[in-house]
Amino acid sequence: MAEETFRTETKGMERYPGLTAFLEGWGIFRQSLLGKIGLVLLIMFALMALCSYIPPLIDPMYNPMTGVDPVITCSTGPSRAHWLGTDFMGRDILSQLLAGARVAFMVGVSAAFMSIVLGTAIGMTAGYMGRFMDTFLMRLADMIMVMPTLLVVLILAAVFGQLNIWTIVLIIALFRWPGVSRIIRGQTLSLKQRPFIEAAKVAGASHVRIIFRHIMPNVLPLAFLFMTFRVTSAIIIEAALAFLGFGDPGTVSWGMMLQWVWKTGHMFKAPYWLLPPGICISLITLSFYMLGRAMDEVLDPRLRKEDQTD
Amino acid sequence: MELRRYILKRLVQITIIFFVILTVLFLLFRLAPGDPVSRMVDPDMTPEDAEQLIHQLGLDKPLGIQYLVYLKNFFTGHFGISFHYGEPVVDVIWNRLPNTILLFTTSIILSALVGIFLGKIASWHKGEKTDSVMTIGALVTHTLFLPWLALILIWVFGYKLGWFPINGMISEEVWLDPDAGFIAKGLDIGYHMILPLTTLFLIHFGAYLLIMRSSMLETLKEDYILTARAKGLEEKDIRDRHAAPNAALPVVTSVGLSLAFSINGGALTETVFTWPGIGRELVFSVSQNDYPLAQASFLLIAIVVLISNLVVDVLYAYLDPRIRY
Repeated sequence: MAEETFRTETKGMERYPGLTAFLEGWGIFRQSLLGKIGLVLLIMFALMALCSYIPPLIDPMYNPMTGVDPVITCSTGPSRAHWLGTDFMGRDILSQLLAGARVAFMVGVSAAFMSIVLGTAIGMTAGYMGRFMDTFLMRLADMIMVMPTLLVVLILAAVFGQLNIWTIVLIIALFRWPGVSRIIRGQTLSLKQRPFIEAAKVAGASHVRIIFRHIMPNVLPLAFLFMTFRVTSAIIIEAALAFLGFGDPGTVSWGMMLQWVWKTGHMFKAPYWLLPPGICISLITLSFYMLGRAMDEVLDPRLRKEDQTD
Repeated sequence: MELRRYILKRLVQITIIFFVILTVLFLLFRLAPGDPVSRMVDPDMTPEDAEQLIHQLGLDKPLGIQYLVYLKNFFTGHFGISFHYGEPVVDVIWNRLPNTILLFTTSIILSALVGIFLGKIASWHKGEKTDSVMTIGALVTHTLFLPWLALILIWVFGYKLGWFPINGMISEEVWLDPDAGFIAKGLDIGYHMILPLTTLFLIHFGAYLLIMRSSMLETLKEDYILTARAKGLEEKDIRDRHAAPNAALPVVTSVGLSLAFSINGGALTETVFTWPGIGRELVFSVSQNDYPLAQASFLLIAIVVLISNLVVDVLYAYLDPRIRY
């Protein structure tokens, strides 16, 4: 039934290969339970991120970073004014948690987007140009792939001092492209053999034009489906960095909240403060992971067939 | 013969990568904004000592010569003096290396073995309740945020129940006791290792389980499994002796691919449990602006990563006779 409706939807859309691929993928995605759970969780987090703008409007004391409840000077448990309690300075934990969702999305999506763009460009160049360029770029990818990104950011923090959130995002992106570029390279290698590329070459198209006009539209859907995995790793790296005390002191991320609990020695006294940020980081990772697995099914027909035989 | 050539080729590659890392690190520490001398020499040192150290590190010479001195110092084990400990950096990290290797290797081997075993069981019961419980369990534990899991374990098992020590690697009473033998000391370390090991294990085994499961399902479709069935072999034999060894190969590859991830996790675990390893030393030195120590810890971790990669590659080539690059 679901299959049929999407067939009719895609009729006459052969002109847009990206869109057709997307709709076809969506049809398969809808049948995956993991994918659906992941999507629901993700929507929940997106709502949290949106709601993060509300508390500071109600009362300035709900500002996640600077708002302090005037009557509270130490960490207190959940109450009517503070549903999840307050931290050691009397700041509201719920509004910090909501702001954390916003930061997680910001960090995850922007780092993932940048690394995908970089990975796609490098993968296409390596695959299309071949020879020296290919060897050079892929060896570079190998090298970056084995480096533990968190520790790389740490050593950069040692040299450059406090990093702000956008620098962290940029560094994560710069170190997380190799996985994507390998896949895109593989895809490009097979595309290169197709007649339409040959035709474009004969027609006198330049390399740049072939890469961006003819190859890119065909690899982009694949690249964007891979974004889900990159989002996860970016969120985890930022959270871990903040947890260790090297995050951007001007942003309230979940990792930062955990760092506060840990460093102020509240982890044995304040479960209402220790539990929420950790659960949020773990759940958002899980949701992107589930989404990624569902995407895998979309991308890899072998997995799909296997599941249909059940 | 072929295997030897492959190992040789990988060794050359790894050496090149290492030199690149060494060079990038050199440039980073010398050319970043700020004074390189203050970064390598403790500001609290006496002028004479500082002078000598500057000379030993070649900081008074042009950049090209500095680089050569840096390389020479690296190969002779001179990394400068740690600001915090006041002793040669190489002594500090050399003492930490075995601790890191102990925790790291044990956790990887344990989680890979358990992951392979459970993955095998899950694939065998595909579609049944056992399978879904295992798959979902693996997904959930694998995506837990590691430092948070560590804190929860400390809170529950260290604080509430008081079963396990929550920091360090040894207890002083045991180690200062002259009567305590080798075994008592070993057990003491093992006792301190339980919580950090559990943390790393819980995070990692899920990934191996999932890979083993899907690899096993692929393998079970192979013709030789059909042959084995046709021969009338026991189902258990088919599973354990025909399918599982081949299916476990991708797990070995994934150990290699996830090494960077495991090293990150190792550093976080060491920090939370104050396990005296290199990862914790790196985190600590960065927070203390102890540059020489940070630089050396990072280099040592890079070496550990590269060598483990080599070990995994060789293991893979050895296990799978079809792979001879």
